Amino acid sequence: MAGNEPAPPAIVCDAGPLIHLEEVGCVELLTDFPQVLVPSAVWDEVAKHRPSAFMHNTVRFQKVTPDKALSAELDVMSRLLALHRGEREALQVAQGHPGCLLLTDDTGARLAARNLGLEAHGTIGVLLRAIRRKQKTKDEVVKLLRSLPTASTLHVRPGLLENIIREVEQSP
Amino acid sequence: MKTAIQAELPNELVAEARAFVEQGWVGDFDELLAEALRRYLESHSTRLAESFIQADVAWGLRGRE
Repeated sequence: MAGNEPAPPAIVCDAGPLIHLEEVGCVELLTDFPQVLVPSAVWDEVAKHRPSAFMHNTVRFQKVTPDKALSAELDVMSRLLALHRGEREALQVAQGHPGCLLLTDDTGARLAARNLGLEAHGTIGVLLRAIRRKQKTKDEVVKLLRSLPTASTLHVRPGLLENIIREVEQSP
Repeated sequence: MKTAIQAELPNELVAEARAFVEQGWVGDFDELLAEALRRYLESHSTRLAESFIQADVAWGLRGRE
């Protein structure tokens, strides 16, 4: 693990990153987060589409049910951005855990997170972070990035993906 | 100009949409589909999506935790 960097925060997961990480065999990258909170709607969605995502004993999964009423801001944004139940619950749980990191690949959910003052990142961020956290080598991550279009259901514009790969290859 | 499309959709979603049409909230199924597509495209800015992914790259490679 990295030297004097601050400890990783708890994370709250939307379904996308769990499914996409599992598709490329990388759910274990979540191992070094102290808590991996999975809202019940997200849990059900992942259990339905990619149940093997939860079969990683080293990841501290915790199924949670939002215990507070939806905030007025989140309620309005959920409607405006047509967020799904899982995305809404993930934002709701994240609001109840100050300092946590939300994992989502949905642009609408990320926009809502930004407006709510929540830090949010997605699958590609987790894959690249693996180099910094010394969980994967740069070559391994480049290989994973190249596999995304065929091995996963994460859709990224090919030109953008190539730019990301180039940036990773040129990074120190 | 209009284009005919063929799509496979979940039964539940189609039933819900047809009920919406039958209740008179929208002219017909085609209109509902066009409106749904329009709203999706309006709320899924590619520029915004790319900016979030760029933020992911910065965090992934140079984050502090």
